[in-house]
Amino acid sequence: MSAFQPIPEASARAASSPDYMQLIQSDRVHASLYTSEAVYRDELEKIFYRGWVYVGHESEIRKPGDFVRRNIGEEPVILLRDRKGQFQVLKNRCAHRANLICSDEKGNAKNFMCPYHGWVFSLEGSLLDVPYPKGFTRNKEDAGLEKLPLIDSYRGFIFASFNADAGTLDDHLGNAKAVIDRAVEMSPVGEVDLSAGWAKHKFYANWKMLPENDTDGYHVNFVHASFAKVLRSHYDDAALQAEEDLESETIDWGNGHTELNLGPSYKTEMVWLGYNDSSRFPQYVAALEQAYGHEKAHESLRAGPPHTVIFPNLFIAEMNIVMFEPRGPNECVQWHTPMLLKGVSDDLNERILRQCEAALGPAGFLLADDGTISERQQISLKSGNAWLDVSRGDEREKEGPGDVRIGHVTDETTNRGFWKHYRKLMSRP
Amino acid sequence: MQLVSMEEMRQIEALLYKEARLADESRYAEWEDLVDDDMYYWVPAGQPDADPSRTISVIADNRRRLKSRIAQLKTGMRHAQLPASPMRRVLSNVEVSKEEAPKQQGAQEYQVRANFVLYELRAQSTNTLEVWPGSVEYRVRAKPSGEWKIFYKKVSLVHGTEPLATMGFLI
Repeated sequence: MSAFQPIPEASARAASSPDYMQLIQSDRVHASLYTSEAVYRDELEKIFYRGWVYVGHESEIRKPGDFVRRNIGEEPVILLRDRKGQFQVLKNRCAHRANLICSDEKGNAKNFMCPYHGWVFSLEGSLLDVPYPKGFTRNKEDAGLEKLPLIDSYRGFIFASFNADAGTLDDHLGNAKAVIDRAVEMSPVGEVDLSAGWAKHKFYANWKMLPENDTDGYHVNFVHASFAKVLRSHYDDAALQAEEDLESETIDWGNGHTELNLGPSYKTEMVWLGYNDSSRFPQYVAALEQAYGHEKAHESLRAGPPHTVIFPNLFIAEMNIVMFEPRGPNECVQWHTPMLLKGVSDDLNERILRQCEAALGPAGFLLADDGTISERQQISLKSGNAWLDVSRGDEREKEGPGDVRIGHVTDETTNRGFWKHYRKLMSRP
Repeated sequence: MQLVSMEEMRQIEALLYKEARLADESRYAEWEDLVDDDMYYWVPAGQPDADPSRTISVIADNRRRLKSRIAQLKTGMRHAQLPASPMRRVLSNVEVSKEEAPKQQGAQEYQVRANFVLYELRAQSTNTLEVWPGSVEYRVRAKPSGEWKIFYKKVSLVHGTEPLATMGFLI
């Protein structure tokens, strides 16, 4: 067999890699980062295939054999629980002729049979059977489904990497571990349940507008003015006051993880679920007190869940879980599901579900408007020849512990945090 | 379930065509006038048979939430419909059956199934044409006063399981 020549486009791409130190400055970022095909391909390699990404939650695959299909960047994968109860992430591609092994969105499987030529793979990806075996001359051990080398979970949230040298999940999450703690500890048993299914919202815009906009506290008063006019909500206190009266914060937690910390603006309990106090859910209050003690329980009830993007593709969106899926430089999908709680009443979970639908998705009271604004940005950036300002509040940003930066809720501390980490990853050879 | 008379069929079709036209033309107040107090407006996100109390929907509006949705559109600040999308929908394959046990006493109630295809110009952003095909299930009633109202509308999109473009209008 002759050796393959290097693919010409691949080497050309490496030679002309964009100069990210130039394109991402401390106070502005270049339009081409949102529009260029070369940048997009580079992001897939350097962010989605080289680093850690979120793939799913253990409540989606409770039993051995349970699986869900996902895309990491543009790679189709299967996240599953094998017979030993271990999580696996397999490339959804037959080792023979590259057929999609699994076309169901989710389900339970004993093994995966490729519908093209009948090759059968175990839940661990091993090739078990090849029809008409006399003509098969390879080693079965070399013809399994590709398995992602790194997979780890933190409190039910499962992350993986295509790159064995991506380091530990612990290092990647850093300060975001405490964010996940705050989310799961909204449940008296410390567990969330993502079993309500996913709705998917398509944006004709670059994927980075999702993490940027989702932790932008400045737009709320404008993009969501129609929402604020017809419905009272926790955003009234958190983001819709005079500049000097706003107590919420933007936080750069490091590693590209960014938060809109709305908690400081909440004065009473459960405003984050649309109530004036927690009197409607006495069992929930009692269960939290029992689990975490009086003081911590009531602090959770007041401060509520986090509003935090975990780089690059997970957004803990208060009582919702959101995933970002890139689809080329000019299109992306935002997936969402309610963050249901284990150990609480059905009516509380139904309330969480209804609030999720009100806020998010193609017809959401909030996200429909965000989607339109992002698409307008994408249109105006089409030439790839412009700069976007991310300087707001640079002067009044405070230093938190370690590398943490804290800004006014209307400031671009979160955007700067995202881009700082992005630049670090993208500038690597 | 019972068959319906030509006269009933004519009245029901007139109601649904009016509803479609008012939605197409974003005439929110007039559209809302066709809706009864117990209205449920539902667009499942995936499996049309899923239980909406446990499964995410694109829209699962009770009357109160639908009122807020329309109020939001009427503010003139709903960017997702600023300007309103020019739209036209075609409603076809209408099948009607009469409820033997109406929910509201003294009313005549009907279950209606139809197919539709909606063409939307995304005039707020991309200025591209979006196509929304699906089936729709209505429940409608003739009240004792003779007035016709819709009290249930379920829109099952052909592509409901897939990523959907922004849908700020009344579907």
